[in-house]
Amino acid sequence: MTALARYTVAVPGVPSLRLHHLALILALAASWALAFLDRGNPLVVVPQGWIFDLATPLTDAMKYLAREFQIGPVRFSSITRSVGWLISQPFELLAGLLADGFTFYRQDAPPFHIPALPWIGTTGVFCLVAWWYASSRLALWTGLCFAAFAVFGLWESAMLTLASVIIAVILGGFGGVVLGIWGYRKPWLNAALQPLYDTMQTLPLFSYLVPMILFFGFGPVAALMATIVFALPPMARVTTEALHALPRSVSEFGEIAGCSPFQLTWLVRVPAARNKLLLGVNQVIMLSLAVVIVASLIGAGGLGGDVLKALKSMRMGDAMASGLAITLIAITLDRLSYAIATKRPAHTATDQPWIARHALPLGCAAILAVAILISVFVPAMHQWPDELVISLGRFGNGAVQWIGATFDTQIDAVRDTAIVYLLKPVKIFFLTVPWASFVIVIGALGWILGGWRLAMLGIAIFVAIALLGYWKKAMMSLYLVSMSVVVAMIIGTLLGLWARLSDRAERVLIAFVDVLQTLPTFVYLIPVVMLFSIGDFPAFVAIILYGIAPAIRYTSAGIRGVRLNLVEGAIMSGCSRLQLLTQVKLPLALPTILLGLNQVVMMSFGMLVITALVGTRGLEETTLVAIARVAAGDGLLAGLGIAGMAIVFDRYLKALNRKIAFHLGVPIPR
Amino acid sequence: MPDKDAETILECDAVWKIFGDGAASALRNLGPDPSDDDLKNRKLIAGVRHASLKVKKGEIFIIMGLSGSGKSTLLRCMTGLHDLTGGRVLIDGVNIADLSDRDLVELRRRKISMVFQDFALLPHLTVLGNVAFPLRVQGADRRTREEAARKMIALVGLEGRETYYPDELSGGQQQRVGIARSLTTQPEVWFLDEPFSALDPLIRQDMQSEFLRLQGLLKKTIVFVTHDFDEAVRLADRMAVMKDGRVVQIGKPEELILDPADDYVTKFTRDIPKEKVLRVRSIMTAGGTPTNDMAVPAEARLVEVAADVIAGEGHHPVLDASGALLGTLHRRDLAAYLI
Repeated sequence: MTALARYTVAVPGVPSLRLHHLALILALAASWALAFLDRGNPLVVVPQGWIFDLATPLTDAMKYLAREFQIGPVRFSSITRSVGWLISQPFELLAGLLADGFTFYRQDAPPFHIPALPWIGTTGVFCLVAWWYASSRLALWTGLCFAAFAVFGLWESAMLTLASVIIAVILGGFGGVVLGIWGYRKPWLNAALQPLYDTMQTLPLFSYLVPMILFFGFGPVAALMATIVFALPPMARVTTEALHALPRSVSEFGEIAGCSPFQLTWLVRVPAARNKLLLGVNQVIMLSLAVVIVASLIGAGGLGGDVLKALKSMRMGDAMASGLAITLIAITLDRLSYAIATKRPAHTATDQPWIARHALPLGCAAILAVAILISVFVPAMHQWPDELVISLGRFGNGAVQWIGATFDTQIDAVRDTAIVYLLKPVKIFFLTVPWASFVIVIGALGWILGGWRLAMLGIAIFVAIALLGYWKKAMMSLYLVSMSVVVAMIIGTLLGLWARLSDRAERVLIAFVDVLQTLPTFVYLIPVVMLFSIGDFPAFVAIILYGIAPAIRYTSAGIRGVRLNLVEGAIMSGCSRLQLLTQVKLPLALPTILLGLNQVVMMSFGMLVITALVGTRGLEETTLVAIARVAAGDGLLAGLGIAGMAIVFDRYLKALNRKIAFHLGVPIPR
Repeated sequence: MPDKDAETILECDAVWKIFGDGAASALRNLGPDPSDDDLKNRKLIAGVRHASLKVKKGEIFIIMGLSGSGKSTLLRCMTGLHDLTGGRVLIDGVNIADLSDRDLVELRRRKISMVFQDFALLPHLTVLGNVAFPLRVQGADRRTREEAARKMIALVGLEGRETYYPDELSGGQQQRVGIARSLTTQPEVWFLDEPFSALDPLIRQDMQSEFLRLQGLLKKTIVFVTHDFDEAVRLADRMAVMKDGRVVQIGKPEELILDPADDYVTKFTRDIPKEKVLRVRSIMTAGGTPTNDMAVPAEARLVEVAADVIAGEGHHPVLDASGALLGTLHRRDLAAYLI
């Protein structure tokens, strides 16, 4: 609270300093007083009679929409099914090419099977692309990764995941660009879409899955649709932003050159903004990968499905192997798409022959032709023979058992200490605080930070959670997130400070952070389950691991960003090193560090959702259970609850940051 | 230098451009010349106020003004990038506000083109691709448009750079690309919006010379916007000075220097090296009787004849190109412009 009080400066439209203190004291006093009330009091625990069951009618409505609703003579379900069929076509083509081939069933003859491309051919093509756009180093890395998939017997799953990602990125990316262009042309539409995008981006994955099952049926198509829908908002945002960032004169030139509106968009604006757009595509690729993996819950198959199956039967080694493959794919796709996005085209003579101008596609075709030819004679080059597969899983299973047997006492000690002294007390606190107290404090904080509008947002969301009957679950989620955020912030900030001590430390840490940020959320679950079994503690560790990256990055960046003249001024006024850090650098870096905090919070909510898979009991569990019960309404409302809490934290922290930046006279970092 | 009675190809007639919602109705309701305060009350800002001018075929017409004077806005009104709030812009006698969208596109494809201050090159295309772009949007085939583009690239002296991307070129080179690109469609009216302002002073002078050389070859009708009075005087056949959205004075550079309309114009002319701008014709004593035989040409700039005139005694005869006597020049006449 002291940090808040120090920065209570007058910002137009926000209440003044003295009122602040008064409001805060009143709010705290009121909520404290409420704590003395009996648990039967409606202000402490929301009484059953107040709770409004929206989930059941919502589920019914969605079921009606999916099964019986008709637009004129056409059933809505037949529309969704045909959309699904349309989207499944390119996917099945690609999946067939890369992973499992094509089988044609014939009436009175055995089915006719065309096998997938030989693994050596696919590997060769990816190597060539990596070499062409990046470097021989990335080509080597790509080759090794792909070869590993084959040798370790993960080839089909990996290719299936890859095919899903490629199709989702192409469709989602294109849809996002179209939506983004639309938002660029019509500012009112863009303004209207922003809150929708916010919600969609914070809505837990699992909440998307249920409606997808309803509309598209259980299976890869529903998973693909969920991925596409998830990838749309970030791409649309990047597109609108990239188009707005173009110099005005570029559009003016297009008009003066006599472009039609279509030409102006597709020949001038979009290609001129291509660099930013491609960086957006890089984000979308990583996001799609994360989603495709989780979507294995509704039958996407691929590596995600393998992990899930292995986790369910506690074959930790197999889960590790598939998780490793996901990690390798993530890193490869990230580096490769980044290289393509930032590639500078080389000078080529314009009158080059046709062959030279199409060198890359021709090269790929040549590699495939040669690979197919070889595979006719050497079947091992086509499909890695089963008897040569090295099963990582068996090693892994053994290793996990060994770790479990050897360090059992230590691991248990760490877990039990954390649970008894940290998690349990906080959990009890969150579960016993009267809901009205919580809402009062949220309201007061919102009012202090950003005025009555912000307060109304916070109050509305938490009251809605209470009245819809999700209060207890929400508190279970909130306790886990807030504990994880606090710990991640402490460790991350310290690491960030340490990084500033030496360049080498910084390089090592940033490389570490880069890898952490590339990994799909799902992967984090594997080691923590392996070490700590299931429950709140492994979830807690997974959230910290996932959320710590921005804390490190932003702290380091914030300290580095402090203006040199201020540092020199402080040194000349006789600050010691410690004083320099605590009295000059840290306060000035605070806005940037807070920006990091904001990201930590958002990422923690993102991870929280996934931790339902290891048995946490908050709203995220509701969204997961809803999938099995096909309870769309419940899943959606619980998901909206998580999204709502995330949005409240986001807005509050942004408001706090505005105040602090204003107070320090530094620009609000972005 | 264009004919005196060359036909008018571009005309602005009482052009108004007001930014903000409800600008057109404000202009109707607030009378013919609303004040800034009236506009501000309606949250409007005037970019151009009642600007009228005529550009003749084949001349370099320069619009000069400081930033915020409305010169670029006026240029954008002429090219249809801005809709007018009031008044008319006629190109070849056609009011561009009357054109349908399709006709406006056609006008831009065939008749006009524009060069931008920040070059506005397309980053994803090579030099060749950029210069060929205007023909590409017209649907010309690859061979035709690249042939035309190569000619233009040679014209601006960038042969050998066809496959470079814009960000690999210096500012001066980028603007050469911008110029080449704006010429590929062989426009009749060529608009240049502060084309050299983003360049270093030395490069700027080179580009000005280059520009004059090109105009010597091409004889386009040119509307050129600049904030640099020196540049305006150096390049202009005629020029308009703008202030606060109004056209303050229109005339040849010499006319502005010899007879500035108000203090604002005077301020610009004060530091101009007049001997480099003014010609003998404009300061001679018309119809005087020469007292020596050291003749000076009427179209010569003062700086070119100064040494001879100062060295000579008495009144020099001033002759036109055909050798006819127009008047006399004494070193006293010259002195006022040399100090």
